[in-house]
Amino acid sequence: MPTGFDRLFVEEYPRIAGIARRVLSDPAAAEDVAQEVFLDLHRRFGDDPGANAPAWLRAAAVHTALNTIRAGQRRSARELRYAEGGEMGGDPQAALEASETGRLLRAALARIPRRHAAVLALRYSGLSYAEMASALGIGINTVGTRLRRAEARLRKEVGDASL
Amino acid sequence: MHPSDGTLRRRLDEPVAIDAPVRQHIAACPRCTDRLARMATTASRAAALFAGTDPAIDVEAARRLLARTESAAAAQAPRPRSGHAPAPARASAVRVRRAMVGVAIAATASLVLVVTGASQDFLSLFQPRQLTPVPVTFADVRSLAGLTSYGHVDSGGALQVQTETSAAAAAASAGIAAPAVGGLPSGVPATPRFAVVSGGVVSFTFDAALARAAAARAGGDLPPMPTGLDGSTLTVSIAPAVVVAYGFDPASLYHGGGLPAGGKAFVVVASRIPTVSTTGVTIRQLEDYLLSVPGIPPEVASELRALGNPEQTVPVPIPIDLANASKVSINGAPGLLIGDSTELGSVVVWTHNGVVDAVAGTLSSSEALGVARSVH
Repeated sequence: MPTGFDRLFVEEYPRIAGIARRVLSDPAAAEDVAQEVFLDLHRRFGDDPGANAPAWLRAAAVHTALNTIRAGQRRSARELRYAEGGEMGGDPQAALEASETGRLLRAALARIPRRHAAVLALRYSGLSYAEMASALGIGINTVGTRLRRAEARLRKEVGDASL
Repeated sequence: MHPSDGTLRRRLDEPVAIDAPVRQHIAACPRCTDRLARMATTASRAAALFAGTDPAIDVEAARRLLARTESAAAAQAPRPRSGHAPAPARASAVRVRRAMVGVAIAATASLVLVVTGASQDFLSLFQPRQLTPVPVTFADVRSLAGLTSYGHVDSGGALQVQTETSAAAAAASAGIAAPAVGGLPSGVPATPRFAVVSGGVVSFTFDAALARAAAARAGGDLPPMPTGLDGSTLTVSIAPAVVVAYGFDPASLYHGGGLPAGGKAFVVVASRIPTVSTTGVTIRQLEDYLLSVPGIPPEVASELRALGNPEQTVPVPIPIDLANASKVSINGAPGLLIGDSTELGSVVVWTHNGVVDAVAGTLSSSEALGVARSVH
């Protein structure tokens, strides 16, 4: 008999890993983050984590991933393999471009205000405005304002030429 | 009136969430069309950076891995986890700590959920005599923004946090003595840090034309309006608040990061009671009229009713998904103890001699009460 946690895991795990990937540009590291936040959720709330659990997981995923890049952690060997195309099916040029974009994005997300980085990662993971409001603990009318500022800040940080 | 940047941005992603008259305005207004186009360009550049397909994920394999990790951790218990503290715990502690400090500052400066950006919250305006907990959810807070359909809110800009080097400097800056804590719970760093949260003026001006449009959208007409209501303004003047923080940098709450990975941390906040004034009508008339307008969101109406008489009570909004409240006495003064339902934090709020004080942090209820009762 699957528990509430089991059902939540099946429904949310890909999205939680997706949120972390938006920040880390590394699918394997993103799954590490997803595992970590689900583990923490289970420890805290057990088999029936309740209705707020998806919002909790999304917030935890984005902040854990941001903590990772902001701590300036060295890229893992696995990440390097990914950047070099080892897990991308073999097109070295595509891998190089993806790696460069990922590096730019990670650096920018580490520099801009955390609230901006968080809303960007959540939005481009496909969350609705209501879901973002819930995860970020802000009013739904604030989401658009914050997102617009975050996009403008990201553009300033990365510059147009590199896009 | 042109829609806000936030509304325009949402128009790009969720157009059906925007009221039809606003959508029509955007389509017909050259200025708004231009703003929208520039916003779309910026958004598409961000989207390009984040582009990329998520690889297929084997959820079953991930679930088995999690189960193995849990089994291994259980086998090793009660050994402490090595290395870094779990980041989600930090995220959760940050969230709770922010919420707790938000409640504390709300109680002292009347701007509830300042840290969540809902500072235009009309219902947090008060003329306090006693404390009354008002349960709110994030959905309620979101719905309150609907009040801008009935008038203009001027939140006076974001509150500013200024760090200070000493209690004396903070007191001089805030114009109120910094609370001194007589007894610290064990495990809390003994050296406090100081900050001052700026005061400000928040106003809500009722606009009959906006209210009429809102009522029409809801399929009704405005009820007869009391004399003086159209254009009446409710103004709240908020005094600066002095913040004494133990265990973390108070400025970091507003700038992201800088919070400790674990351990106990709390703030003691003090501010003079805000003053409220109205032009045209009384607060009660304004509240009663808003309740009678067709289309007022039910959440807003129920919260307005829950407040009772706003001239007599301090509504202390309690995020019910995080906390619950009970009445307490702090050295003879009436107060509220707000317990965090995740057992990560507590808040105590009390009033005396024209001052609102609050203690908030990652403390148990008894520790927070002990700190509150030792404040002098």
